[in-house]
Formats: sequence, C-alpha cells, structure tokens
Amino acid sequence: MSELVLKTEKLDKIYKLGARQVRALSDVNLQVKKGDFISIMGPSGSGKTTLLNMLGYLDKPTYGKVILDGVDVTKVPEKGLFKIRKYRVGFVFQTFNLMPYLNAIENVELPMEGTKKSGDEKRKRARELLKMVGLSEREEHRPHRLSAGEQQRVAIARALANNPAIVLADEPTGNLDSKTGYEIVRLLGKLNIDQGTTIVMVTHDSHKAAHAGRMLFLSDGRLLTKEKEGTHLLKKELTCPYCGREIQPDDTFCPRCGKKL
Amino acid sequence: MKDLGALTRAVRNVSRRKIRVLLVVIALSFSMAIMISIPAGIIANQEATQSLSENYNSVISNMQEEINKTATLIECRTSFGRGMPEGMPSGAPPSGFGQEEVFVNEAVVDEIRSIEGVKDVVPFLETSSEETTSETISTPRGSFTISRPLYTITGVSLNSSFIDNYSVQPTNVTAGRNLYEGDSGVLLMSSNLSDYFGVGVDGEVEVYGEYFTVVGIYEPTGQALMGTRTVYLNISDAQRITGNVGNVSRIDVYAEDVSDVDGIAEVIEAAYSELYVTTYKDRLENLERMQEMYQTTLENAESTLSQTQAVAFQEIIIAIVATSLIVLFTMLYTVRERTKEIGILKAIGFSNWNVMSQFMLEGILMSLMAGVVGVVIGIVGAPIFSSLLLPHVSLFPTQQRGFPGQTVNPGMTLSQSVSVAPDPQTLLLAFGVAALLGALGSLYPAWRASRTSPMEALRYE
Repeated sequence: MSELVLKTEKLDKIYKLGARQVRALSDVNLQVKKGDFISIMGPSGSGKTTLLNMLGYLDKPTYGKVILDGVDVTKVPEKGLFKIRKYRVGFVFQTFNLMPYLNAIENVELPMEGTKKSGDEKRKRARELLKMVGLSEREEHRPHRLSAGEQQRVAIARALANNPAIVLADEPTGNLDSKTGYEIVRLLGKLNIDQGTTIVMVTHDSHKAAHAGRMLFLSDGRLLTKEKEGTHLLKKELTCPYCGREIQPDDTFCPRCGKKL
Repeated sequence: MKDLGALTRAVRNVSRRKIRVLLVVIALSFSMAIMISIPAGIIANQEATQSLSENYNSVISNMQEEINKTATLIECRTSFGRGMPEGMPSGAPPSGFGQEEVFVNEAVVDEIRSIEGVKDVVPFLETSSEETTSETISTPRGSFTISRPLYTITGVSLNSSFIDNYSVQPTNVTAGRNLYEGDSGVLLMSSNLSDYFGVGVDGEVEVYGEYFTVVGIYEPTGQALMGTRTVYLNISDAQRITGNVGNVSRIDVYAEDVSDVDGIAEVIEAAYSELYVTTYKDRLENLERMQEMYQTTLENAESTLSQTQAVAFQEIIIAIVATSLIVLFTMLYTVRERTKEIGILKAIGFSNWNVMSQFMLEGILMSLMAGVVGVVIGIVGAPIFSSLLLPHVSLFPTQQRGFPGQTVNPGMTLSQSVSVAPDPQTLLLAFGVAALLGALGSLYPAWRASRTSPMEALRYE
C-alpha cells in the first residue's frame, strides 16, 4: 500500500450568509495516496471548489483537519502557509490565471521565486517543464499569443515548478473546448503515470472525470461513500460502459450501441 | 535574484498602463518640482538678505572710516549734494534730476584760504555729462522711468600736495594709472562707465566735444551705491570744456585742527549763502540716519525671510501630502484592479511580504520616474515656482529721504537668482525623497494587497 499524501478528517465548512448558515462541506473524510489521480465530481454548488480550496489551504475549514505529508496544516500559523502553497501544492485553475505581462517561461519560473534555485537553475527547470507539456517552441510567448489549451499547459507546468506533493486542478477543462479539454486531461493523466504526480481534479464532466484512477462524488457538501474506479485513459483504452467496446474520448454517443454516454 | 524578478515585474506592470502612469507621473512630478525649487527659493532669499546686510555693513563702515579720516574737512557745495561726504568714491552726483547747476567763482577759494585756522582749500568742478540716460527702476510699488545724466564729470585740482595729502581722487584704480600732477587731455574713468562705453585704458572718449585719453579705470566701492558713472580729469580741462572757466562747484576746506572746524564753517556759511557747508557733525548725523534706514530695511528683509520660510515649510508639507495621496490612491486603485493577480500570486506560494514588496516596488518605481521628470521641471521652472509660491525679500530701503540722486541698486529681482543646481547632492536628495514618498504612499495599498485572502481574490473578477 502506497503512502498517504493527503488526508482530511471530518472536514466541515460553514459559511455565514447574514443570519443564515450554509454548510458547504460536511464531514468529509478523504484519503489521497501518492500517485493517485482522483477526480471529484458533483453538480455546481456541491462544494467541490470549497473542498479543493481546503486541500490547497487557500481557505480554512470550520472544523476538522487537513493533513498534508503528515503535517496538520490547520495547525500551521498563517505566516507559514505560503511555504506549503509554494512547495507542497500546485494549483491549476479553470481560467489558467497566467500573468499577462510575463511570457510562458517566466510564468513557469514565478513559483520558484524566493527558492534557493539560481536563475540558471530556474530557467533550466522551467524549460524541462515546458518541454514536458509540449510547449518548447512557445517559451517566449506571452499568454495573449497562446491558445487556451496552450495557456492551460503553461499553467500545469507552473503548478509543477516546485515539484509539489500534490496538484490540485479546479475545473481545468472548464474554459476549453471539448477536444482541447481531453488533451489537457490526457496530459494530466500522462504526468500522473510518467512522473507519478499526485493529482486531485475537480470537474462536473463525467467523461473527463472518468480519465482519473478514482472518481469521488460530492453532493451537498458530503462525499458519497460509493467510490468508482475511473477508466484511466492511459491504463486502458476508454470503453463504452454499456457494450464494453472501445470508444473515442470525445464521443457523446457510443458508436456501437448508440447509447448516450 | 529574487529582487531582480520582482523588479522586472514591477517595471512591466508600470509600463503596462502607460497613460495612467503618465498622468500620475505628471501630477507627481509637479509636487516634486515644488519640493525641489522651494528650498532653492529659500536659499536665494537667505543669500539676498545676507548680501543686503553685508552691503550695508560695508557701506556703513566705509562711511565711518571716511568720517574719521576727514574730521577736519569742511565740505562746501554749490548745489544740493548736501550731506554727502567727500570720499564716498561713487559719491552723489552733484546735480541731476533737473536740479539747476550753480557755480561760484574761483576767487572764493583764495578768500576762504585766508580765513583763520584754514590749512588748505581744494577746489573741484563737478558737473553732469551732456548725454543722459533713461533707466527703468522697478519697485514693489510699480516701476518708473527716470532720466538722468549718463555720468558725472569731476574736475580735480591736480596739485601733488593735494594728491598726496587729501583724498581727491578714487583710490582703487584697477587698470592703468591714477591722475598725476600736470595731466591734461586725459581722464580716469569708473569701471561701469568703461563697460558702458566699451572703452579701456588708452582708449579715447569724447567729453563735451573734446577727445580725452583714458589713462586709468577705477572700481567704485560701496556696492549699494553702485550705478553712478564718473570721470575724473584735470579741473582746468573740466572748466574749459564745460565753459566754466574760473568756476568751481565744490570746495573742500581743511582746518588746522578739529576744534577750528565749527568756527570756520560758521564764517563760510555767513559769507557765502550759495555754499552749503557740511562738517563731520553733519556727516555723522547722516551716517546715523543711514544706519537707521538700513536697519529698518534689514529688519524688513529678515521678517520677510522668516515669513518665507514658514510659507515654504507649509508648501513643502502640502506637496509631500499631495504626493503621498496621489501614490496612495493610484496604488489603491491598482491593487483593487489586480486583486485576482494577488490571489494567484498567493495561491502559487507568494508570502505576504513578497506581495507587499511587489506593490511597494511599483509605487516607488512610479515615484522615481516622477522624480526624474520633477527634477527636470524643478531645474527649469525653479524661478517661476519660487516667484509664484514665495513672498519676496524687498531689497529697497523703506525710505530714501535724505539721499537724493542716490540710487540703491535694486539688483536682480529675486526670482531670477533662484536656481536649482543639478548637482549630485540635489539629485540624490530628490530621488531619495521620491523613493520615500513612493514607499510611504504605497505602504497601505501594498499592505492591503498582502492581506487579501487568496480564495476571495481568486473569485474576484
């Protein structure tokens, strides 16, 4: 059994909206092992993003613990949190969130600022990462000259800059067309397999979620007990859940049995 | 390495919003220019006050010295130049301002010489040049134009015993030589007249239709009285060319002893009503009046100076507050506009300090740009700024009574003498202040940026 990277214990998050209390998360117990590729699914408002924010420690839980690499981050003082975000967690956002005034390679170098790496080392690492996401040719381009998919690749490279224990991706395909979205999910899957990167991805798209090794369902802030094995794209080819035949990632209907996927 | 990255980002961020930065830089640079030029204005005011007091002191001490030296001198003048001690090198023009010139016959000289107790009598002929000049004098009460003779002609008795024993000629000859006994057809000229004519030693000047060779040039002493142009020549030459053969206009009478002075003066006054007689007593009185007047002027100047300093202090405070506020609001706006960016930076592991220093750096950068522009505006516009913003030290004596014909050189109006030297010290100070105000103004916005919750910031559109 591989080691635990991230664990939550009885995670609760209660928002106060005036006099009303909204329970965004309720008793979430999640375990992420090293090398996992987990997708968290659920309708909008189910608390997916809230959970991800807790995991990346952008937000504090009302109750419960988040244990990252054996350290309870809820006990880390505010001032130490930036180090966790910098070295232990990599974020990928729905809207890419690249710095518009920095080119691709500078965006990737950004999280390495303030680390012990020298300028040359940072540049070398950023090059490696851009090569890994297939953007070696685009190093000098600023975001506005990159396509949406390319921007998300740069964002993924940036998330990996400091070799984090876990990559948290919040709807990484939400702003992409279907084909590009699959490419991005495939890229995440490839990183997961080739590099052993631990990934937690939030999505409401079941097809893309299916590329992950594990699928979790979140509903009204509760993690449903039934977990599902994802049909990991790179482990085995994608198959129709009805007839078992091979299908293409962007198929909406099974070309064999004609059922809606 | 880390700071270089932050600096690069700051530069790019600032250059990303060119119009805004331009407007802010213009606004800031005016504040900066005011901050730079006002101290220069103060310094100019201080210098003006100081030179005023130095001038006055030197004039007073010259007069004092002169009075002491000439205790036995009884001065007799035909026209109104009463009260001006002989030996004030640039002395009052004996006539001018429309005053009618009066002369007495040379025979008077011998008559006076025969009075008991008189040691020596030295005659002079003082008169005006034919040429006149118009001068515009600006005063705090407006400017007016006066017409006066271009220069004064002083005919001196070139007798070697006079030259040796009494001060009949200017003493500080700066070029050429002084007049000697027997000189004729030559003259000694004040430097301001030499400048006016553009004539040097050995040059020729036409006086009343005759040509004279310049043998020497002297520097008028007593700066407050500068402005009187004079030529000295042999009295017989002066009498001939001005058609005053046998006439004199001033007679310096030297008593054997100070105790004889009053008696001799009484006799002369009784005998010659056309002569105005002044003795060391009159000169002392005159000196006291002058001292009083200078004192008042100086006090006025000093009170203006302290007023100026108070005003300048307030203006600098206002400029500092304005600059900080401009930076503050601009940076607040920038922080608000870039909330999302702050969220991203924090999400990828920037510490509060990283975020804060980033924004402060941008504020400082902007102020430094304004500092550069401000220094340029300040250097070019210092006279304008200080004349607009500072009260002026008056260089005029408050009363000129008793000194007819004597113009106190109004000198430069202050604003012209205000200058900001682009020396390293000024520049360093200006940039230091710019950086400081940039830091001050962006402190709160940057702090607010650093406190932004990353989650909320990321949600911000």
